[in-house]
Amino acid sequence: MATEAAPMDEKAKRMRDLLSSFYTPDPSISTSVSSISTSFDNINGPSFDADQYMDLMIKKSNLDVLLQRHVQMAAEIKNLDTDLQMLVYENYNKFISATDTIKRMKSNIFGMEGNMDQLLHKIMSVQSRSDGVNTSLFEKREHIEKLHRTRNLLRKVQFIYDLPARLQKCIKSEAYGDAVRFYTGAMPILKVYGDTSFKDCRRASEEAIEIIIKNLQTKLFSDSESIQARAEAAVLLKQLDVPIDSLKDKLLEKLEQSLDGLQIYPEEASKLAEHNASSKDEESNNQGPAKIHEDAVRGFSEAMRAYREIFPDSEERLFKLARALTTTHFENMELYIRKRVSAADFLGIFRIIWEDVVLMDEVLPEAALSDLSAEAAQVTLKQFVARTFSHLQQDISATLLKFDINQKEVVDGEVLKAVLEASGKAVLQGTTDIFQEFRQLLDENTGIFVKMNDSLIGWIQKGFQDFFRSLESHFLVLSGKTSSSNETEGLIEGKPSEKIHAGLILVLAQLSVVIEQKVIPRIAEEITASFSGGNSQAFIPGELSRVFHAASEKLLQHYIDTRTQKISNVLRKRFKTPNWVKHKEPREVHMYVDMLLQQLEEVGKEVKQILPQGTFRKHKRSDSNGSNTTTSSRSTTLHSDKMARSNSQRARSQLFETHLAKLFKQKVEIFTKVEFTQESVVTTTVKLCLKSLQEYVRLQTFNRSGFQQIQLDIQFLKAPLKETVEDEAAIDFLLDEVIVAASERCLDVTPLEPPILDKLIQAKLAKSKEHKNNNSNAVSP
Amino acid sequence: MQGGSSGIGYGLKYQARCISDVKADTDYTSFLTGTLSLKEENEVHLLRLSSGGSELICEGLFSHPNEIWDLASCPFDQRIFSTVFSTGESFGAAIWQIPELYGQLNSPQLERVASLDAHVGKINCVLWWPSGRCDKLISMDEQNIFLWSLACSNKSAEVLSKDSAGMLHSLSGGAWDPHDVNAVAATGESSVQFWDLRTMKKVNSIERAHVRGVDYNPKREHILITAEDESGIHVWDLRKAKAPVQELPGHTHWTWAVKCNPEYDGLILSAGTDSAVNLWYAAASSTNEKTPESLWVQHVSV
Repeated sequence: MATEAAPMDEKAKRMRDLLSSFYTPDPSISTSVSSISTSFDNINGPSFDADQYMDLMIKKSNLDVLLQRHVQMAAEIKNLDTDLQMLVYENYNKFISATDTIKRMKSNIFGMEGNMDQLLHKIMSVQSRSDGVNTSLFEKREHIEKLHRTRNLLRKVQFIYDLPARLQKCIKSEAYGDAVRFYTGAMPILKVYGDTSFKDCRRASEEAIEIIIKNLQTKLFSDSESIQARAEAAVLLKQLDVPIDSLKDKLLEKLEQSLDGLQIYPEEASKLAEHNASSKDEESNNQGPAKIHEDAVRGFSEAMRAYREIFPDSEERLFKLARALTTTHFENMELYIRKRVSAADFLGIFRIIWEDVVLMDEVLPEAALSDLSAEAAQVTLKQFVARTFSHLQQDISATLLKFDINQKEVVDGEVLKAVLEASGKAVLQGTTDIFQEFRQLLDENTGIFVKMNDSLIGWIQKGFQDFFRSLESHFLVLSGKTSSSNETEGLIEGKPSEKIHAGLILVLAQLSVVIEQKVIPRIAEEITASFSGGNSQAFIPGELSRVFHAASEKLLQHYIDTRTQKISNVLRKRFKTPNWVKHKEPREVHMYVDMLLQQLEEVGKEVKQILPQGTFRKHKRSDSNGSNTTTSSRSTTLHSDKMARSNSQRARSQLFETHLAKLFKQKVEIFTKVEFTQESVVTTTVKLCLKSLQEYVRLQTFNRSGFQQIQLDIQFLKAPLKETVEDEAAIDFLLDEVIVAASERCLDVTPLEPPILDKLIQAKLAKSKEHKNNNSNAVSP
Repeated sequence: MQGGSSGIGYGLKYQARCISDVKADTDYTSFLTGTLSLKEENEVHLLRLSSGGSELICEGLFSHPNEIWDLASCPFDQRIFSTVFSTGESFGAAIWQIPELYGQLNSPQLERVASLDAHVGKINCVLWWPSGRCDKLISMDEQNIFLWSLACSNKSAEVLSKDSAGMLHSLSGGAWDPHDVNAVAATGESSVQFWDLRTMKKVNSIERAHVRGVDYNPKREHILITAEDESGIHVWDLRKAKAPVQELPGHTHWTWAVKCNPEYDGLILSAGTDSAVNLWYAAASSTNEKTPESLWVQHVSV
């Protein structure tokens, strides 16, 4: 069955292919479609070769198969014939029906022509009718259009006639925006016909507009109006073609004037700072002046923002204004810190200013306000540091000069000591305070401060360096020993040296020592602890120590100089006044010895207040009796020496030579280096005085009595001097030198007899004792 | 005087207070010095630096009647000099001439050319006309200043003019301005005073106490150097005499005398009662802030 069905299918398919190839002229397509077998033996293929097929058949197949094939083929051919016949028939049918249809169509179309003509005719008539209507209505339409235009015009005229009233209404209701809109709307007409038809109207509306302008201007300038309203007013004015530049100028001028209100005046600054500080502690919303100020600045920056929007071309001016405000801020700050200001207050003000700057910077970032203020802040901060130091210096010198040390009781009381202590404290405390202040500055972290930390440290270090340097020169000026380098300064500041109390110089000398030994190391410590890290090492403690060491020595020397100068004056008067050649017999120890001793006593008292004691004393009180006896015995030997000398010239020249040798040997000891001890200073003073005494003696010529007077005075001086002085040998030597000098300048060397000498000295001692008692009696009751 | 370790020494019998270079001796470096002894016979020594510069040779030794407080050599005649002397009770001043035949006698007498005997009080110094041949002299006592005209030929001197400084000033010394021969500076108790010799009137003063010595800078006009008791050496510009131009520390005790080097500007020699001679270099211009330095210190004992 299956084998039967397959050839049937095969057959049907071939048939269909063949039929379709009949319709499709292109054989390639049919082959491609029916691509079952393309070989030449395919009977359906285009390349079928009947002879070959036959040969193949004959060769391959036996007779049965050939017969079978023949039958099959004959059947197929028959089938094909019938099929073809069918096809032809069908096609013919179709052709006939088509011809029928065409025939019918022909007959239908034939009657249409007349209908079309009819239609055309009708359309023609419609057109002609509509033309007729158009022409008949044209005139009327034109009229209507004219009327419409007139009506519009009339409405406009009405509007213009109403304009003044409307404007008035607007003025009343302050609807300036509407008014301006109306007016600008009417403006073109008014411009064209204003001079003819609408003269009154124009005038009225212009008046109204003038009022509006005026109102707007007042609004613009009134401070009570909000910035928004003012900005609107400005916009409206601009729309009204009011010369806006002058307005702008005026406004900016006003803004400029308002700057005055924004200034932080030095007088108010402290209040402001206080409030700022206190409001931080309490409530931050406190309505203190700081708050008010902040609001004012906020208002100012708002105004700037508004103006910037209103007048875009005014930026430059605004920049200038903002800059001006910033600079005035800093200028005022400079004025403010000219007075004494604590770091906290300074920072308070600084914060306020910085806030202001930030506010303004938000509005005008292009103005580079932060840069400007950073620069200004640097300058101000630098000045602040400098000022702090100068204040400290003023403090110290004020403490030094506070005590009226030109009074008499200075020497007796402990005034010098008090001055030294107070001023030493002032230096220590002052520097400690300064460190605290600067630490506050360093801890501050508002904006620019952070950036300036390094340079701040540098300034502080340099500040200390400069401070101590200037303090040193200030000390020298105070002491009256102005160096030649700052001549002018010395002339202005320094008092004439005579008026400066010697005690002050001594205090300054010791103060320099204190600074060298205590203050500078401490500051060096502090600086390394909290102020290092700056790229510059401006503070050099070693150098400062050297400077102050030198200064202390200089000042101590100056003190001694001043003191000896005084004593020198006493001596000078003593030796200038009498005629030594005609001197009378010595009756008592001369007055000047008292004065000399008194001066030395003063020195001793001053020195005791200020300077430390030496590490050792050469002789104790208990020794002094013994030394007294030795001196008296020495004076007798001297006396006998002299007697011998006047007798024999040879002996005398020998003595002279021994004196020369002695001087040569001991000279070094006379002018030793001064140390910072009580004894050293007193000894040096005494030595210098005795040397002066000797020189004065050498300038005179004495008669016998004159020489005896000198002898008496010197003999009397011996005991009290030795009590005060550590270097006894040198004093002995110098006193002897005076005697020798006197004897050399004496026309007739005859020394006083020792008993007389003793007697006179005892008398003097008794007298001075009595005097002292009297004095103490006078004081005690 | 006795030299120190590095100097050249010359011994005098007695103490001396003054020495003067003999300017008129152009061939040698010569000095004149006079002794100060109340009781012994005083001498004037003429010294000459040997050609090798290693020795001081005594060229002449002359006896002088009184102790000599001041001595100045005549700038144009090396044989003439002036002294101020004291008899113990009174002072005198005289011009002397060294006799021709020195070297033969042990102590030949000096010829007295003239006596400047118009003074009453203590005479301080005699100043010669600063340079060149001129017969003018100045002598000072404590209150008066005299201008003399000297006639060597007829051995006389007459007072041309005088002025009194007043009792209070008590002059102590002076210097004649080499740049302006009409100006003379005198040191006083409390000031340095300046006289114009034409009018013989005081024209100017620097208030400065206890000036011991004064010298004009021979190289630069208007520059004056003073030596003071306590406060050392000061350099002044006379055009602005309010404050010193420079300050040198001076000596440990009084600075007694000060002299400018006649050849080298800025070299200053000072002597003090601390038995030292200091040589200073004070920088030439006042604008130059170079600190003055002590170049050399020589200790001598008197």
